[in-house]
Parts: sequence; C-alpha cells; structure tokens
Amino acid sequence: MTLSAAFLRELEAIVGVKGLVTSPEGRLTYEADMHTFYKGAPDAVALPETPEQVLQIVRLCRRERVPVVPRGSGTGIIGGAMAPQGGVMVSMTRMNRILELDFDNRCATVQPGLINLWLSQATREHGYYFAPDPSSQMVSSIGGNVSTNAGGPHCLKYGITVNHVLGLELVTGAGELVWIGGKAAERPGYDLLGLAVGGEGTLGLVTAIMVRLLHVPEGVKTLLASFSSIEDASETVSAIVAAGIIPAALELIDEFFVRAIEEGVGAGYPKGAGAVLLIELDGPREEIEAQAARIVPICRDHAALEIRVAADEAERALLWRGRKEAAGVVGRMTSNWLLQDAVVPRSRLPEIMRRMQAISRRHGLRIANVFHAGDGNLHPMILYDDRVAGELERAKQANEELLQACIALGGSVTGEHGVGLDKMENMPLQFGPADLEFMTRVRRLFDPDSIMNPGKLLPSHPACGEALRPGPPAIPPGPPAIPKGAWV
Amino acid sequence: MRAMAVSSPALDRALGDIVGREHLLSDAAALEVHAVDGVRPRWVARPSAVEQISRALALASAEGLAVAPRGSGSSLSLGNAPGRLDLVLDLGRMQRIIEYVPEDMVGTAEAGLSLGALGAQLAARGQMLALDPIGGASRSVGGVLACHASGPLRVRYGTGRDLLLGVRFVQADGTVTWGGSRVVKSVSGYDVPKLLVGSLGTLGVIAEATVRLHPLPPARGSWVVSTPSHAIAADCLAALLASTLEPDRLAVLNAEASKLVGVDGARAALLVSFGSVAEAVASQGAALERLAKEHRAGAAPVAAESWAQLAPALSGPVKLKLACEPRRLLHWLAELEREAAGGRLTVSAVGQGGHGVLEASLTGPLTARGLATRVLAPLRHELGREGGSLVVERAPVELKAELEPWGPISPELFAIHGRVKQAFDPTRVLNPGRFAGRL
Amino acid sequence: MSEATTDRLGAFDLRDAPSMDGLRACVHCGICLPQCPTYRVLGEEMDSPRGRLYLMRAAAEGRTELTPTLARHLDLCLGCRACETACPSGVPFGQLLEATRSQLERRRVRAPATDHGTLGFLLDLFPYPGRLGPLLHGLRLYQWSGLQLMVRTLGFLTPFKKLQAMEALLPPLPASAPALPAVTPACGKRRGRAGLLIGCVQRFFYPDVNAATARLLSAAGYDVVVPPGQECCGALHLHAGRLDEFRGMARRLIDSFDPELDVIVTNAAGCGSALKEYGHWLDDDAAQQFAGKTRDISEVLVEAALPLREINERVTYHDACHLAHGQRILRQPRELLGRIPGLTLIDLKDSDLCCGSAGVYNLLEPELAGELGRRKVERIEETGARIVVSGNPGCLMQIAQQCRARGLAIEVTHPVSLLARALVDA
Repeated sequence: MTLSAAFLRELEAIVGVKGLVTSPEGRLTYEADMHTFYKGAPDAVALPETPEQVLQIVRLCRRERVPVVPRGSGTGIIGGAMAPQGGVMVSMTRMNRILELDFDNRCATVQPGLINLWLSQATREHGYYFAPDPSSQMVSSIGGNVSTNAGGPHCLKYGITVNHVLGLELVTGAGELVWIGGKAAERPGYDLLGLAVGGEGTLGLVTAIMVRLLHVPEGVKTLLASFSSIEDASETVSAIVAAGIIPAALELIDEFFVRAIEEGVGAGYPKGAGAVLLIELDGPREEIEAQAARIVPICRDHAALEIRVAADEAERALLWRGRKEAAGVVGRMTSNWLLQDAVVPRSRLPEIMRRMQAISRRHGLRIANVFHAGDGNLHPMILYDDRVAGELERAKQANEELLQACIALGGSVTGEHGVGLDKMENMPLQFGPADLEFMTRVRRLFDPDSIMNPGKLLPSHPACGEALRPGPPAIPPGPPAIPKGAWV
Repeated sequence: MRAMAVSSPALDRALGDIVGREHLLSDAAALEVHAVDGVRPRWVARPSAVEQISRALALASAEGLAVAPRGSGSSLSLGNAPGRLDLVLDLGRMQRIIEYVPEDMVGTAEAGLSLGALGAQLAARGQMLALDPIGGASRSVGGVLACHASGPLRVRYGTGRDLLLGVRFVQADGTVTWGGSRVVKSVSGYDVPKLLVGSLGTLGVIAEATVRLHPLPPARGSWVVSTPSHAIAADCLAALLASTLEPDRLAVLNAEASKLVGVDGARAALLVSFGSVAEAVASQGAALERLAKEHRAGAAPVAAESWAQLAPALSGPVKLKLACEPRRLLHWLAELEREAAGGRLTVSAVGQGGHGVLEASLTGPLTARGLATRVLAPLRHELGREGGSLVVERAPVELKAELEPWGPISPELFAIHGRVKQAFDPTRVLNPGRFAGRL
Repeated sequence: MSEATTDRLGAFDLRDAPSMDGLRACVHCGICLPQCPTYRVLGEEMDSPRGRLYLMRAAAEGRTELTPTLARHLDLCLGCRACETACPSGVPFGQLLEATRSQLERRRVRAPATDHGTLGFLLDLFPYPGRLGPLLHGLRLYQWSGLQLMVRTLGFLTPFKKLQAMEALLPPLPASAPALPAVTPACGKRRGRAGLLIGCVQRFFYPDVNAATARLLSAAGYDVVVPPGQECCGALHLHAGRLDEFRGMARRLIDSFDPELDVIVTNAAGCGSALKEYGHWLDDDAAQQFAGKTRDISEVLVEAALPLREINERVTYHDACHLAHGQRILRQPRELLGRIPGLTLIDLKDSDLCCGSAGVYNLLEPELAGELGRRKVERIEETGARIVVSGNPGCLMQIAQQCRARGLAIEVTHPVSLLARALVDA
C-alpha cells in the first residue's frame, strides 16, 4: 500500500524525523526477521521512544486503516516481524531501558526493546535473574519474548515467558493504553495477561513489561554426555524423566550440529559423537549432587561414550554458547535450511526420531537436530540448497510431513517459536473450527478493525471463512429448541 | 432478559432427555441444597459427558436460562449473589481420568474429579498435581481452576494458571471448544485456558482439564518458624525469599492459625516445607533454623500432617482473600488483625508468603453493616491505593448486600472486560452478574 | 533476481566484488546486533551489520542499486568488526564492506550527509609523512605558544564543528623526537630479526611508543630493523574502499622491508590488521609472506620472559577493535600487563566495544563517535582505574580527549609504555 504524504507527516510529527524510516533501502532491511523465507517490507518504520508515541501511532493507523506490525530485535522465525500487507512497522528497539528493579518484590519493570540477556546481566550481581532463556536471548528483546511466549532450554524446569510475567502495559489495537496485572499476584477480573503474552502483536503493542525475577540457585552442575546414536540419547532422556528428575535443562544436539558448533564456536563438544546431551541441574547443592549421581549411571546404561562435567563457570558458559549459537553456525554447513519447531509428548520422542529418519530418506534431504529433549520440543532443521532445482520443494514437503507426524503423535504445531505466518495454515491441524473461531473473537476484542499484524496467527481460508465473521455463534446440533407458542 | 416464555414442564422434559430423568433434580429439598446464596434454582442437572453439558447449555442459551456450574460446591458463595438462577449444572458425575501418561507427566481429568481422588491416582505413580488449596482435597478440578484457588505449593509450582495446559470447555451457547494443548510446551494461538482460569465459569464451563504434573519429591520435611512480632516475621520471610533455599510449600500464619500447628504464643509463624532428596531437605531445614535464629525467631521441625491441619483456619463464616505486593504481606496481616480487633473479631489467616496473597477467615459478633463499613471497606480502599485488593470469598448474604464482594476492576480494563463477556456470553447465560464488575 | 552473470554481480561489477559466498553465509540471526556500536546508539536495522549485509546482498542479487542512501549506511559503519567476532557463521564482514566501498568509491556514489571533502583531505594527509610532518610542526607551535589554550578556553572553533572536533582530539604534541636508529641490536641472546613499523600517526603523535617498542623488542632478543623510508601501510585507504591506492601503498611498504626478516612488528592495531590482510587483497607471494610474518607487539612480547619491576597502579585495558576483532588478540596484552608486579588489572565492561575512533571516523562523524567515546569513558570511570591502556594510537587520542572533556585525571597510554616503564634494563 502507499501511505499518503499527509499520513507520513502525521507519523513524523509523532516520532520525529529521526524516528521514521521511509527510504526504500531502509525499509528493505525490515522486510524479514530471521526467517528470510518470508519477506514483506513495511511502507514506513517508526521507532518510538515512549508509550504515548506508540499510542498515537496506533490511533493514527486505526483511523486510517493502516496495518501495524510490531518488531523487536527481529530474531523471530515465524515471519512475525515482517509486513506482508505493508503498513507501519513499529520497531521497539529504542525503548530498551530497565525502568525499575525491585528486589524486595523480586520483580523488574522493563521496556520491550531490552535485550533478554541484559536484564539478567543487570540483576545477577544482586543474586537474581530472569529465567526465560531462549537461544536467541543474547539479541532477542523481552518484548519479543512476550509476543511469542518464548521458551528456551531452562523452561523445562522454570516454565515459559508467561509464567514469568506479572504485568504489562499494552496499547490495544482499539487504541487504548492499559496496564494489565501488577506486583500483587491476583486481582478481581479476567486473566487478560494470559492472552496478551503470546499475542504475537495481534492484540496490541506491549510498551512495558513487569517480570518475575528468580533467585540465582545455590549450585549449578552442567554435564555433557555423548552417545553414538540419537536413539541412545533419546532413550536416556526418557529414562531421566521417568526417574522423577526434572533437570533445569535437557538439550539434545545431533552429530551435524556438533560439527557445526565446533567449527563455529569451538565449544569443546566431542567431535564424532552421534548425539550429545547437554544436561543442566540447578538448585540446592545436595539436590544437584544427588541428581547427578543418578543421571550418570542412567547415561551409562544407555551406552554413553563419555560423560563430562563442566569444571567452572567459563566452561559452562562455553558449552551453552555452543548450544545457543547452533542456529547461527548452521550457515557454515549448508546453504539453506528450514527450521521446524514442533512438539511431541516426551514419551513419543524415539518414535518421532524414527519417523523423521524415514522422511529424511524419502526426500533425500539431511535433517539435523538440536532440541529441548526434556519437554519433547523438537527443532529439526531440514537442509537444502536453493540453487539445486527442486530441493526447496522437497524441503517444504518434508517439513509438512514432519509437522503432521508430530500432531499425529499428540503434539503441538509449535512449541515455542509461535505461529506467525509460518504455522498459520497448520492451525487447523490442532484446532477445530469452533476453537479457531473462539480465538478469532478474542482477537476482535482487542483489535476490532483488524489492523494489528494482519495475516498472521489465525488462518483465513474459506473453510474457516464464516468463523471469522463476528456474530452469534451457530447452535450445535441437539434437541430442537422448543418452538415458541407451542405451549401455554 | 427474556420473559419466561417457556413452561417448566417442557424444559423439564428437554433437560431430562439430555441428562437422563434420574439425573435431573427439581424437588424442593434438592433445590434447597443446591441454592446459591439462598437463591434456589429451578433445576439441578447432573451431566455425565461433555455432550450433555453442550446440549444443556444450548438449550439454556436458546431459552434465556441463567446457569451456574458447580463442582464440589465448596465455593458456591464466591461472587455476587445471583440475580437469577434457573439451572445448576452439577459436574459431580464427571470424574473420569481421560488420559494419564506418567512418562509425559501430563494428565487429563474431567472437571468433577476431586483433587484428593486425582492425587491418589497420581501418587500411585509417584506424581502429583501441584494444586493444594487449604482444605481443598474434596474440591473439584474444574472448580479449583474456575475459582483460581491455590495453596502453599504455589511458591514452587505456581497456580492453575501455570499448571493448566489445555481445556475442553463448553461455551454459553453449547459449542464444545478446545483451547491450549496436550503437551507441556505449546504456543499455538492464544492461551485460552488462562482466560478460563479464575473466570468463575462466566465464559465457559470447564469439562476436561489437561494439566501438567510433577514428580513427588523423594523426601519432605516441614518446619515452623515462630516469631514474637510481625516485624520479625517479615524479616524472616524476606530473608528466606532472598536466600538460595527452595521451599516447596510456604505459608504465613497469624497467631490464631499458628495454634493449629501447635504453636502457642507467637504473633505470627512461617510454615515451610522442603521437598527434595533427604540430604537436601535436612540441610535446608538446618539452614532455615539458623536463619530463624539470626532473626530472633525460633524454628523447629513439625510433622507432615501440619499442612492438613490448617483447614479449620479458613472455615469461618466470612472468608477473605487479600492480595498485595509480596513485601507487604505482614503489614496487611497486621492491619487486618488490627481492624478486626477493633470489632472484636477473631482473624485466622494463612498467607502465601512468596506472593503476597492472604486468605483469612473472620468470626465474631459484628453485624454485616458494621463489618462491611468499619473493617472491610476501609481495608479494601487502603489496599487499593497500593494496587492490592480484598475479595470476600465467602460471607452471609447480608454482608454481600452491604459490600460488593469482589472490589473494583481497574477502571481502564473495565471496558475490555465488558467486551470479553459480551463476546463470549452475550445473552448472559453463565453466572450472569456474579463475576467482578457484575459481568 | 539476477545473480552473477558473466560481467556483473547484480549491481556490482566483478572487479573487487564482495564475495557471494561470504554474503550467503549470513543466516540473518542477528547475533551481531548487540555487538555493533552503531546499532547500540541508533537502534535501526540499516545501521546494524545484519542490515548492512542485507543491503549488500540485495545489491549483489540485483534487488537494489548502489544508491547514496545505501552508501550512507555503509559510511556510518565503523569497520570495527565486532560483528565478525560475534558471528557464528563466519561472515567476513570487514572484507565485504571494503569490497563494497571500493565499488561505491569507483562509481562515486556519494551520500550527501557524508563529508567526502574532509575524508579526501585526511586521506591525502595522514598516510604521507612528508605532509603530516610539517603540519604537525605548525601545530606544535600552536600548542606551545599558548594559542591552543586561548582557542579552547574561548571556544573560537565552536561554529566550526568538524574543525573543533579535530582540534579537540589533538594530544599534547611532543617535541619532534630523533628518528629511531636503523638497527637496534638485540640484548643478550638473539632470537631473530624484527622489522618495526613506525606508522604514520604513531611516529608523529606518539614517538615514545615507538621508542618503547624498539627497546622492548631488543630486550626480548630481537634485532630491531627500522627501514627509514617506510611510509604508510594503507589501512585508511583500505577501510575507505580506495583499493588501488591501498595496493600501491601496501606494495611500497612491503618493498621497504628486508624480505629476510623473521617477523614484522607493529604497535598499532589498525596497521596490524591491515597488514595481516595483505594476502587477501594482493594476490602475490611477497604479500602472503609479509602478512604471514606480521605480529602485533603483544604477540611477540608475550613469548619472551622480560624482567619487570613493580608498578603499583590500578589499570584497565580497552580492546582496540582491530586487535580484538581484526586480529582476535585479547589474551596477550592482558597477560603481559598481568606480569607486571603490583599492577592491578581491572576488567572493563564492554571493553571490546568501539571507542569511536575507528581510523578517521571520529573526524567525519563527530556526533556518533562522541557518543561512543562518552560511553567508553563512562565505563572506564566505573572501574576506578587510574590508567587506561590500549594498543592503538587512534583509541588513545579519542579516549584521552573524552577524559579531558570530563575533567578526569586518568592517564591514557599504550601497553608498551607501561611495560617499558617496568622494564629492568640489563
């Protein structure tokens, strides 16, 4: 769409000339997040610095029916922070301060553009940290984490972003600026916080976030166990969980990634292993010692080749750096990749690995794996080369089959990355028409004019066409309503 | 609100067709037992499956009936007294465990199953649902979720909000709907389960809940820290929360409540349990004892049964739930006691130490008007000034008439709340007028 | 999209084109963003490494022309290469940037906001000792006569922002020092023969650093060979994309050093980084060899066991970008400082975030450079150190100027100066 000169003038009046990007070159750099498969350049990028500016931007866009697409650090992988319908992209990167640290109440209030890791870095010396640790945390923003309800390796024990949000300030698509939640853990009314977290920018723009801080645990123990096959590693994962141990993190990294990580980061992963488990325990010292003492024999029982314990914080940090930069290092080993984010129940992990290998063989494409094995959240990476005819198509096919296999085993279409554009058409795999229609009504509550990140999250194909029109829902089949006038 | 155009016998027949004649109650005695705040329904229906709930609500929606879902009935007085009540949907027959895969630590139960019965099944496999509202073993899963009830395990495991993964519910018009997922990690679409938690059934009736489970700890030990003053209790609590100790249950007890666990003469007490390997339990208990001593308090181990002994603390005729900033918990406990003392009331209070939530029960001579205007309204007002709240969860109807039980919804959110109710229950079938804001 | 045809790579021609493989290595993960000084200050995608790479790749794929706007975003890049250190995929950002700049330069694609006049002036000045020397002679008089004090106090240059920024950067200029001897023999057992780069800026602004370097090298067992006719290593021209001139200077520099030397030593991070890339930009054996022999002074000294006396000081270390990121030298300078007895080395937060000097960047973009310099000195102040050391003359000037502006009594010096101070003469 083209934005009129008058519109741009109004927008510039809100954010200032330095807060507005309109050049074609500038807008080009905002056309994709990390998933460059999905491209859509906005017509303008606004970089506000206050919640009031955000409110005015949304009201202007609502008035003129211009789409609004929020963006944090642009590290999402679902095509969330791109603008397929054009409009105004609102980059929150300049709103990146810590507003308050309240250790007495164990919480912090931050602006959405603050980089996740920077919060923990600021609080660690006081003995606290922010638990949600997506692999992108060294660059992803807390606003982005809230938008997709991000997970990360430690969410196995500590939960995902929504479990650590106490409150947030939201500019709704209806042009209201509201504060939801707060330091008190409860208040009368509906839990709107649970809707806003994970809203993927479809309900509004988050302009401030109050998060829970956890106390740094007494002890941390990080183990690296290597196996000759993924099967052995997956079975070990099941055995650990079956033993009643919930590690703080339980990550599985396959041979492909081990090689890539060693080339890229040099994290000390054992080369030549078929699969590696990165296991972290945290908590009271005796507890982690006891857990480690049980985990080591479990690993041995499943043919572990080597079990290593990180000797100090530096080694631990390096092991984690290897894991967290896995998505980045893949550029060394392949031209292109499709990253999947699906979930299966833990107990079905070995099964999905088998099905994945069959899919890989069938399509002649390598599938590499790094994932949060502890909660069954897979991140298979389908490797291909877009310069080779047909490989992209085969990759997409394989991707689809993989997702269907996960759902068939009782899983979810997305574990932590979110739906965005990438999983939108897959939503009917997990939800029926009534379920999607319910969610559509939720969306309309906050965004009555459909300007907030349109074309994302909920599908709009004809099968659900009627579900998208708000109005009284259809009455399900049952005994006919008693006809009026049929009695006295 | 439609005029009652449909005759009782016709509806009677229709409802009987849905749940079966023997599960539709309309005799005076049954209706009296199932009254809500003294308002008797016209029917009590006891469905055995989701489809029956669906058909009943479809009918209610078409005929403009007001419906109140019911679990164990222990929190029926939560909320405003019903202006109209036609049908009570008693989910007590729906007690199946639909699916339980211990390896996945996920289970799906029907809403009418009691926490105690569910817990027993899970314990047989060394697991638990970490929801333990005080005195709540007989409460239903659906009820506990709909009321957002919680207990001492909150400090480690959160509440229903954090434990509910997926929910099968029935909308006001009878549409059976699924929200969330069946696995521990999923972000597909909006977190609809969270919307339903604490919604008192006003947006939908929970039929099945898929919950996240946890392993039972290998060992447990409980301690009580008794303190001579609120200030020392606050210090001990702050020190505990700022330490690396990881209790799995934490309760703050006032003088009255602490008598139930054998503590006499303390102004306040902390009841703490650790759940871990035996060595970690012992070592943390010892650390707690040292911490108490450093803060001029006394600490001693207590029996595991102490937790179950707390139930009488909250069983008085008036039950409150206060919420405030965590660091202000002891302050508001002291305030409540002071106000109550002014009215010669006895307060028994159990607080969630890590979250600033205080449940309290009052007994004593004050009239409804006096209690409302001299104790509760001023407290609620003061709490409100610092972002806190005071909800009257259980009270005689006369008190509810004097003081709106919920307290105000934040004004800026009120409009959105109205839209929420309008979107999902436009004809006001589900608990109309009972929720906050008289929604 | 049009990629490589026989004579074009999208909007680029094939002469010194950015490598398509290099561009394709970027997976758009964004891990570079928080490490980028311009992104930290501006918060916009186009002024981040990921955004700049995106524009370069878009140009290579024919999705955009090489426009002045595109040039401006590349002009704002400091060339600090912190993004390369952060990048898990090994994208060679520095080389891609310089290749792209060379094409922009050749076609005279110029962003109006960039001060090409000043850039041209500086590029014609700094690398030419024959020009810089006399100018500095005049500036020395300017300082000694008290004129500088008057100008600074009365703010005469305030209307001339660029000139004022340049003037502010001037450190106290020493009296012209005698040239280093052509050969300084090794002390004690000889390890080898080291050629010493005296640099353009270093030789005039910090001749004492060169003298200290020669002394330390000699103490470490090297004959120190200082070719008197040596000129510029070409780093400024390389970073500005003037590749032909750069190659000329590089060849002349290589030729001025005896090919039989064991090691070529530099004490300026910017020079060392450029020298080590001679093999990439000049495709001949002499260049490869020369590059292969280049070492920063810290790399050489850390191999020797120098006798050092006590210096009781609190010191903090700023990583010059072209040492930390350009050459991946982080450990050696710190280890050397740690060997000085009595010296307390305090960690500097964001030590490897650019100070804003970046060659002549602080003269071209004083606002942005000033912001970075201000942040750097804030971090330095937080350490409570009395001395800050860094292995690059540009950094020293920038940090010293910022300290002066804040009225901080912090000594800003090169690590070799401290080491020379501590050195026990045989």
